[in-house]
Order: sequence, then structure tokens, then C-alpha cells
Amino acid sequence: MSNKAPRAVATATASFAALLVAAASHATPDSDALIARLARAAPASIAFVEVRFSTLLVEPLVVGGTLVYEGDGSLTRRVETPYREESAIRGETVRVERAGEEPRTFALRRAPELRGLLTGMIGLLAGDASFIGEHFAVTTTGDDQRWRLGLAPTDDRLKQRLSEIVVAGASAEPECFVIRDSQGGASVMLLGAAAARPLPAPLALPELLAHCGAE
Amino acid sequence: MKRTALALLLLAAWAGGLAALGVFVQRHLDVDSDLRLFLPEPRTSEQRILLDAIGEGPASRLLVIALEGAPREALAATSSALVEALRSNDEFRFAANGDVGLDSLPEELLPYRYLMSVEDDTRAFDRDRLHAALELRARDLASPGGFALEPLIARDPTLLTLSLLEQWEPAQEPRRELDVWFDAAGERALLVAETRASAFDPTGQRAALAALDEAFAAARSAAEVTLTASGAGSFSVLMETRTRNAAQDLARFATIGMLLLLLVAYRRIGALVLSALPLASAAVAGLAAVGALFGSVHGITLAFGFTLIGVAQDYPLHLLSHRRPGASPESVARGLWPTLATGVASTCVAYLTFWFSGVTGLKQLACFTVTGLAVAALSSRYVLPRLMTEGSRDHGQSPLLARLWRAIASLPRLRWAAPALVLACVGAVAWAPQPFWENDLGALTPVPSELLERDRALRAELGTADTRHLLVVEAANVDGALAALEALNPELERLVAAGAIGAYDHAARYVPSAAAQTARRSQLPSGDALRAELEAAASGTAFRPAAFAPFLADVEAARTLPPLTFEQARALPGFGSRLDALVPERGSLVAALVTFSGVRDAGELAALAAPGGAATLLDVRAASESLVAAQRSHLLVSLAVGGLLLIAIVTVALRDGRRVIRVLAPLALTTLIVVAVLQLAGVSLNLFHLISLILAAGLGLDYALFFEHAAHDEAEQGRTLHAVLTCAGSTLMVFALLALADLPVLRAIGVPVAIGVVANFVLALLLTRPAVRAAR
Repeated sequence: MSNKAPRAVATATASFAALLVAAASHATPDSDALIARLARAAPASIAFVEVRFSTLLVEPLVVGGTLVYEGDGSLTRRVETPYREESAIRGETVRVERAGEEPRTFALRRAPELRGLLTGMIGLLAGDASFIGEHFAVTTTGDDQRWRLGLAPTDDRLKQRLSEIVVAGASAEPECFVIRDSQGGASVMLLGAAAARPLPAPLALPELLAHCGAE
Repeated sequence: MKRTALALLLLAAWAGGLAALGVFVQRHLDVDSDLRLFLPEPRTSEQRILLDAIGEGPASRLLVIALEGAPREALAATSSALVEALRSNDEFRFAANGDVGLDSLPEELLPYRYLMSVEDDTRAFDRDRLHAALELRARDLASPGGFALEPLIARDPTLLTLSLLEQWEPAQEPRRELDVWFDAAGERALLVAETRASAFDPTGQRAALAALDEAFAAARSAAEVTLTASGAGSFSVLMETRTRNAAQDLARFATIGMLLLLLVAYRRIGALVLSALPLASAAVAGLAAVGALFGSVHGITLAFGFTLIGVAQDYPLHLLSHRRPGASPESVARGLWPTLATGVASTCVAYLTFWFSGVTGLKQLACFTVTGLAVAALSSRYVLPRLMTEGSRDHGQSPLLARLWRAIASLPRLRWAAPALVLACVGAVAWAPQPFWENDLGALTPVPSELLERDRALRAELGTADTRHLLVVEAANVDGALAALEALNPELERLVAAGAIGAYDHAARYVPSAAAQTARRSQLPSGDALRAELEAAASGTAFRPAAFAPFLADVEAARTLPPLTFEQARALPGFGSRLDALVPERGSLVAALVTFSGVRDAGELAALAAPGGAATLLDVRAASESLVAAQRSHLLVSLAVGGLLLIAIVTVALRDGRRVIRVLAPLALTTLIVVAVLQLAGVSLNLFHLISLILAAGLGLDYALFFEHAAHDEAEQGRTLHAVLTCAGSTLMVFALLALADLPVLRAIGVPVAIGVVANFVLALLLTRPAVRAAR
């Protein structure tokens, strides 16, 4: 029962939001203005909790840590719980380092889903709507208080791997980034206040999306 | 020049004949540039491997490509696009830029990873090992690379595919940026590409370089990116172009100079035409003979051959200089013939000995020069006089030449001069610090040293194998060789650990022997056992055991696979050329190589080769130096025989010991002087110098024979002086131009001949002089 209630609430909220959007489209924030508002001056860091869903898994994987934006396309993702790992994204190269293991380096073009996410993330951090528009078809729903950006890849190759990226947030704060791949896998990255709130239990994708308003 | 109908008809027939032969040559003669035609037949399998490596080996076909001038991202993008274009280009067999995708292993061969991995681990499928692997995969899945790895995790939870790809990477990897190779400074993206054409096929290499340029133009991600390609093939194209351009420039100057000189000497345009005919006939006839006998001619044969038949230019000049009023050209030719014939016959016999050297290139040279000289001499004797008119003036009556002759005759006779000169020359040769002979095979196709240096630096950055040391393992079949290579592994690992070598590479790193593959196969668990281990391993992880069905299927498939054969492995992308290079001989006897990089202690390698006897150490430089030395000794033996025959012919012709010495002394002394001058200048002698010395000796013989012939008649002395002055002047001009050229090859021919012409002329004059006094 307990997992049905939030879903119902979420569905209701979503329907209500949709109704609102349909009824008063002028209330929907302009995506360019919204993206511009989300810009952060580097360096900026924020706590995150990432939940990874996959068909290989019985239950999702949850990691937490800090995300540091160093500007100029450089991003560091530091995992602190339940183990330590640091991923540095510098331009086109990603380097993953874990205690007791050989560091691994790979090029972004080997991981199109990640590139898609990064493009969206860095575009938002830079407040650059035209950069995002080059790679995604952007749809905006909600209002200035509670908004949701849907980024659908326009590139055919990317479309084969990545079905959608969703960014949801409240006023000028993004609360989550969601990647959904074409195989039914997904990753939900909760940021700031959303990361601090307890996760819905049991942990399932729809509830989690509702948790940060990204459904 | 005669203007009678008969003479003009004869001239037209001659020119027509030349043109027809020229067309035959154009149609039937290919120019070859395989250096191996100029080396002796290989006798040992080591020499065979070496010769293969020189012309056909993948190392010689490998172009090292550097991209620079733009930010790393642009260079890496260009590198990726370029490597893709080259892989699908017919001119190239293989291209790599360090980028190994997970898709490098064809789908159907994926189960073979359990037979091919050298990670010998009998417990790899135990529950605790699998559990540890799954924990790591869970972290991978939650990492930024998780989405990319997800498809592989279900099939290969221990990521054996990745370690296999790492195992196959070059033993010493260059720096990797953005997934592609870069130099240590991170400023140049590096690629390698293997051409289909062999290194000594300039046409094929030129096509490959053009294809590379075209692919680069399309792949270039930014206008600032520049490309440099380096390798034996690009050098052969470059050297061919440079040599041709330099030679054409020189030929233009030389032709103009020659025309002016001949105009001054003979003051007739007709004389120019007549003097050109024998040499042109010599060249065309020589080429036609080589074409008929060999079908192709080596570039070096051409260069040497045209150098050597240069002596034929003198034949018509003697005739022209001896022409005089009151003597028919026919009688002049008849009078000169014994002297000319002695010179031609002895030179031809000397050149003919090249035929017995056992080296194809030198056989071609013998064929070309002997045919050429014979045709030039016979046409000067029997055809040219029919086209000539009686001379309008007698050079024997020239007061200027007569005065000059008397001045030379009255010079003091220094009996001690010749022995002193010999002593000085021998002293100079003994004193010179550098080795007498150049043994470096590279000196035969001289590439500017800055290009070689750049090539070496690029190859060092790429960690390509040290080309000097190779270990050769011989076996009755490929699988035996692979097993022998595997047996060497512990010792090789010990050498790497001890720092004696940086890394090693051999074919068994890519294809294990059938025995090793069968042994690994027998260690694979049964389907039920593995399922049980996997289920136990997955408990306590977030994974569903059922998700790993593809993994279970692969291991099950591997349990019944026949071992991957060497031939199957050759068909894998990028494997063919690597395996061909590492197992160059696969006939009745198989020879496989172990290559090394970063050799610091070659003694340890020799020790490795000693005990079992299965492996022998091949020192490539020593082997190539021994080949060069063998080639030279072939040549020197030919020359010694040729020299003796030359002395015999001159002796028979002159029938007087003192006369023979007077004729041969100048050329012997000249040879000594040229060698001494080169040695004093710090030059070690190579094949080009040797050939030039032979030409100089041939010229010297003719000068001395003609001076000697003229010793008793003053008018004849004047004509001979005129003839030899014209001959020596024109030859000196041509070879002095070569001596001033930038290219080492042209200099190596120009300097000795230029010195030789002067020394021969002066010595022939001075040493034949006693006869002048005796006559008085």
C-alpha cells in the first residue's frame, strides 16, 4: 500500500500539472530563460545521490557523494558512500579511479549516454540554451516554482542508446537529472535538497521520479 | 657533317633505329628499386629473414604518421577519422591509432577468449573470485562508464575481453590521450599504417602516399592540423623524386656546358650531332639488351650504368679531333682503331666480370655497360666516319697546342715523384681515422640524416620493436614454433623484470599453441558447476544470477571449441600483418621471431639463445653489415679478375713491358690518389665510390693509350692533346657539377670522377712524356 500512495499522488500531481500547462500555457516558463537562470559560476559543488536501475539488477544501486563543476567542461564526480571513487571528466576523456584498482580511462564517444547527460548538465551549468538546443529537442513543463525540462536527443546514433534526459527542479535549483536508456535502464541523480531527503522505500523508478518531480 | 644523300639516309636510318629501340625499351623495360637485387643471394635463414625484412617485411612497409598543430581534441578526432578511412582503403593492409574498441573481437569468436587468454588462473570461476568480480562490476555499473559497460557485463562479468585486448596491445604502449596514441609530450597524435606495396615499389608507395593525403584531407578536423608520414616507403618516394629533380637540373646545365665546349673545340654544329650519336646509341642499346635479358632494370643499375658508359662520349671526340685535311675520315678511324679498340676491349672485359658476381643488379650492369660500350665503339669506327666530311683544319698544326706540348715536355722529370706520391697516399689511407669501407646498408639508399632522425624519434615514441635484435625460433610447424615461444616466456619475463629488456613480443602472445589452448579448455567448469558457483557468487550482490545466461553460454561453448588455428587468427582484424611479421617463414621449416623493445643488455639475449639451441639470436645490424661486406667482396673479386684481364689485353696489344707500365701507371696512381683524398676528407668508401673509381680508371686508360700512341709524331701529339683536352674537359665539367650537388649519392659519384679525370689527365701526360724525349 505504502508504495501506491506516492505513485497515486505523483500521478495526480502530474495530471494536474499537465492540466495547468494545457489551461494556461503562458504560465509555463520559457526554456531559454529557465536555462539561463540555472547557470552556476564555477567552481560550484553540490551533494548528490545517484540511483542506478538495470535489468541486470535485483535492486537498484545507490551511491552518494559530491559533484564539482570546475567550469570549461570539467566536472568531477566524487563518490563517498558506500565506497570511494573519483571520476574526472576533462573535455572528451573520462578517468575513473577507485582505491586499490588501476585507474581506467575512456573516451566520451565510447559512452554516448554519458555524453548526452554531460552535454545537458554542462549546458545547464553554463546557462547555455543554444548549446543544449544543438543536441536535444527541449520541452518545458511546470511553472517557475516547479519545473521539468525534457531533453530528447536529436542525433540518430544517440537516440539508439539514450531515450531521454529529464531535469527537474524548483525555482533556480535543479533537483534531479534522469537518464533513461533504450534498454530499460535508468539513472536518477538527486541533487542538493532532494539528495538530503530520505529516499522512497522500497526504491522503484516511478516513485523516485515522483520524489524529485521528474515523472 | 656530310650532306650527301647516302649520308643523310644513313643518318636517318641510325636515328630511326634508335627511336625504334627506344620504343622497345619504353614498352618492355620496368624500373625496379628493390634493393635486394643489389645484394648477394641469402645463404642462411637469418639472411633470408633479413632480406625479407628489408623489402617485404611489415616493418619496412610501416608508415609512422604524426598529426600536430592543433588542440588534442582536434588531433584525436582527425586520428580517429583517418584510421577509419585507411582501414577501408585498398592501398593499406592495416592501420592503427591505439583505439581498441570492445568490438575489435568479432562476435562469433568471443567464446575463444577462454582459450586465448594467457591469464593462467585455474580458480577464475570459483565462487569467491566471481563474487569479487561481481562487486567490482556493480561499482562499474554505477560509475559514469556504466551504461557503456552494461551489455558486456552480462556476457563477461570478469571482463576477460578487456584483459585480452590489453594483452594484444603493443608491448610498450605510447601515451594515450582521448583513446588514441600521442607522443610523450601530448602534442602529436600518432598512427601507424602498413602499405600494401613493398617499400621498394616507388609507384605503389606513391599511390599509398597519395591515398593517405586524400584520406587526411577528408579526415582533417581543423585546418591547422598537419600530417607527417615517415617510413622506408616514403623515403624511397622522396629520394626518387629528389634524385630525379637534381639529376634533371644537372643534366640541363651539363648539356649546355657540353654544347659550348664542343662548339669551342670543333666550331661546327654538325660535330655536336655526330658526337652525341654513339653515346645515345650506347644507352638505348644497353637498355634494350637488359630489357631483353632481364625484363626489368634496377634504378641503381641505371645510375651506375649511365655513369660507366660516360666513357663512350670520348670515342667520337677522338675521331673529330684527329680529322684533318688530306685524310679521309675512314682512314682516320682506321688509324685510331687499334688504340681505341684496346681501350674498349679492356674496359668491356673489366665490366664483363660483374656478370660473374652472382648479384642480379651487377649482372644487369655488366649487360648494360658491355653492350653500350661495344655499340658506341663499333658505331664510332664503322658508321660515324661515313657521316663525316674531311676536316677543314688540322689540330696537329695548332701552334698553341704545339707550344703547350713542348712546355709539358720540358717540365723537370722527378723520378722520385711517383714513389713519393704512392707513399703519401698509403700514409693518408692508413692515418685516416674512419673505417675504410662503409658497411651500413642504409648508405646505399642515402636518406638525409634529419629525416632518419625524425623517423627514429617517432618510432621510439610508438615503442615499435628495436630493429637490431631478434630471436629466431625454428620448428617443423607453426604450432611447434608457438609452443617453443611459450617455453621461452619464463626466461623473457625474467629479463623484463631484471631490466635487460623493456618488453618483448611474439606470436604466442596472440595465438597460444594448440596444447596451451586445450589445457585451458580442460580447466573450464561444466555448465552445472559454473551455474552453482555463479549463484553462490551473486548472493550478497545486487545482481540477478539469471542475468548472466550469456556468460554461461559462452563458457559452455568454449568447452567444445577446437583450438583457434594460426590461420584463423590471421583473419582477425589487425592480426594478419602482425602475425606475418612475427612468423615470417611458414614453409617446410617455420621460423618465428621474438622482437624486443628497449634492449639494454644484448648479452642477456645472447645467453638466452645459447642453452636450449631452439632459439638463435639474430643481430640484424651485424647480418646486414655482413651482407654488405659479402656484396663488396663479390665486387672486389670481380674487379681483381677484371683488372688482371685488362692488364693481359693491354700487354697483348702493346707487346712491350715498359709501354704497358707507362699506360697503366697513371690509372693505378690516380685510383690511389682518389682513395687517399676521400679518406683524408673523412669519407668511408661505399659502392658508389667504387663504381666511380672504375669509371675514372676506364677514362685514364683511354687517355694514357692515346698519349702513348701519339708519342712518336708531333702532329699526332697535337691532335691527341686536342682530343684528350676536349674529352677530359667535358667529363670534368659533368662530374664537377655532380660533385657540387646536395644529394650524397650524386656527390659520391661526382667527387671521385672529377678528381680522377684531373689526376688521370695530368699523370697520363707526365708519365707518357719519357717517350717524347726518347724520340728526340
